[in-house]
Amino acid sequence: MIAEPEVEIHPQKIIDRNKRKEDKFNFIKAILLDIFLVFYSLIVLQRAIYFKFILDLRELPFSWNEIGIIYLISVVTGILWTSTKTSLSCKLFGIAKDNKITKWTVEIFSWFLFNITFIAGWIVTKFSIVDIFSSEGIQGAQRIFGALFQPEMGIFDDALFAIIETIYIALLATLISIPPTLLLSFFTARNLMRDNKIAFTVYYVLRIILNFIRSIEPLIWAIIFSVWVGIGPYAGMIALLVHTIASNAKLYSEAIENIEEGPIEAISATGANKIQIVWYAVVPQILLPFLSFTIYRWDINVRMATIIGLVGGGGIGTMLMQYQGLARWHEVGLIVLMIAFVVWVMDYISARIREAIY
Amino acid sequence: MILEVKNLHKIYNSGTHALKGVSISVEAGEFLVIIGLSGSGKSTLLRCINRLIEPTSGKVKFLGKDITHIKGEELRKVKSQIGMVFQQFNLIKRRSVLTNVITGKLGSLSTFNSIIEKFDKEVINEALNNLETVGISEKAKERADSLSGGQQQRVAIARSLMQNPKLLLADEPVASLDPATSNSVMHYFEKINKDFGTTVICNLHFLSLVRRYATRVIALKAGEIIYEGLPHEIDETWFKTIYGEEAEEVEIR
Repeated sequence: MIAEPEVEIHPQKIIDRNKRKEDKFNFIKAILLDIFLVFYSLIVLQRAIYFKFILDLRELPFSWNEIGIIYLISVVTGILWTSTKTSLSCKLFGIAKDNKITKWTVEIFSWFLFNITFIAGWIVTKFSIVDIFSSEGIQGAQRIFGALFQPEMGIFDDALFAIIETIYIALLATLISIPPTLLLSFFTARNLMRDNKIAFTVYYVLRIILNFIRSIEPLIWAIIFSVWVGIGPYAGMIALLVHTIASNAKLYSEAIENIEEGPIEAISATGANKIQIVWYAVVPQILLPFLSFTIYRWDINVRMATIIGLVGGGGIGTMLMQYQGLARWHEVGLIVLMIAFVVWVMDYISARIREAIY
Repeated sequence: MILEVKNLHKIYNSGTHALKGVSISVEAGEFLVIIGLSGSGKSTLLRCINRLIEPTSGKVKFLGKDITHIKGEELRKVKSQIGMVFQQFNLIKRRSVLTNVITGKLGSLSTFNSIIEKFDKEVINEALNNLETVGISEKAKERADSLSGGQQQRVAIARSLMQNPKLLLADEPVASLDPATSNSVMHYFEKINKDFGTTVICNLHFLSLVRRYATRVIALKAGEIIYEGLPHEIDETWFKTIYGEEAEEVEIR
């Protein structure tokens, strides 16, 4: 009847056993990480530094065999290196020997990794001071900045309508997102869903789906929906809507997870049911954060709606893209100025509203 | 007998063995005070009694009925008959005092009516009466978080009175209040106990309050009952056993 543990195990033994298990697990993790680090260094050394920088090849030779050989070398080196318990990964997972060799390897290898990564980045981005200060480049810059300061006012009407369209795309996406986001946020809040297995499964599956949707940028959603429903503001709106729901559901549910447990306990002690508990103990605590997130999101959506226009999501972005394609820089100048102004105003308003409600 | 707890054990998922075979029986009308250090299992015991948490083993009988493992509708019905007051008051901060008091009645209101916040005249009057009982009816329209700590705790008491509780649990109700306010809040528990005959089980820290209000005392240490008796019987030796050798009694008047 009484759930006393039957056999008393000395606590120290349990701690030791757990420690051994953890060490074994960490050792495997360290091996995998070491293999990866060695593999990464070799690939970077070969392709970026040797082929591109030293030999200055335009087309990089590529063969799976070569990569395979490099991988094999890394596996062998990685395993051997981890076994000595002096590698960087051992240090990271806390299983390294505490001696001078470890200290030196860790320091030297970290520096080595940092430097080759920086150099590889330099090579990949084709970093060049010459390009920035070439006379041709300076001329181009002058053209663009000059146009910015002499905007073509002839298209002001069109641009105004387009930017209003953008603001409405953002507004509608934000407004429509509210009810589904609210609903989803309750089902993705851990503290409301941990009571039983079914609820927890729903929580888990929804979280994975939302994470997936959120990890796809609105720009890509806009491309998908411009194929689905046709190019235009509607595609842009749906793209924003989808992303807004997924991101705000996360923020909302985190707000729910951070509420005080006390009122929930108090209301449930009165014999209230689940819906009443949520209405009286959860909702009043999350109303303001929700409002604040939503207003902030509108502000973000105005900026995103501009970008989405570039791939056919309608509004000012689409207009910008057209004039840029025609190289009509004075028109581009006007559009850029208008976007900057609207974004600045939205940013200011949303910050003010959020200040006021807290 | 209103409450009977038999050989109660509670082991949390974290492995903490919070209650180790606690047995108490409480007669109707008693003012039972539970004392003990933080972590001695006082709060866990109260939460097992009104089943905010489920005991691991043992038995809890309320009004002769076994409530140890009941669930759903049945559990809510039992909860609605046991009032509870907390150390941190646990009011809904942004709502009015009156709404907060009415939430005590949620167990017997329909879900729909409670969500559109349509309350009968009777319920509102009952809430005002209960605010009267704890002496702050003039604050009914104010926001709960604009009140002082002592006033908030009185609102919480009024909320529990809405349940017409047979049993009132209080989890260190004065631990976050200053000494003078503590005494006045305890005074309301006494009033409820004497005037309405409500049984009170209260966790307390200050022995002077215990001596003044309790009709019986139980001391918990590491999840076990180490003392049971009348408040004036706790002497220096017992005090040191309950609170440890280092402890010294602090007077609160």
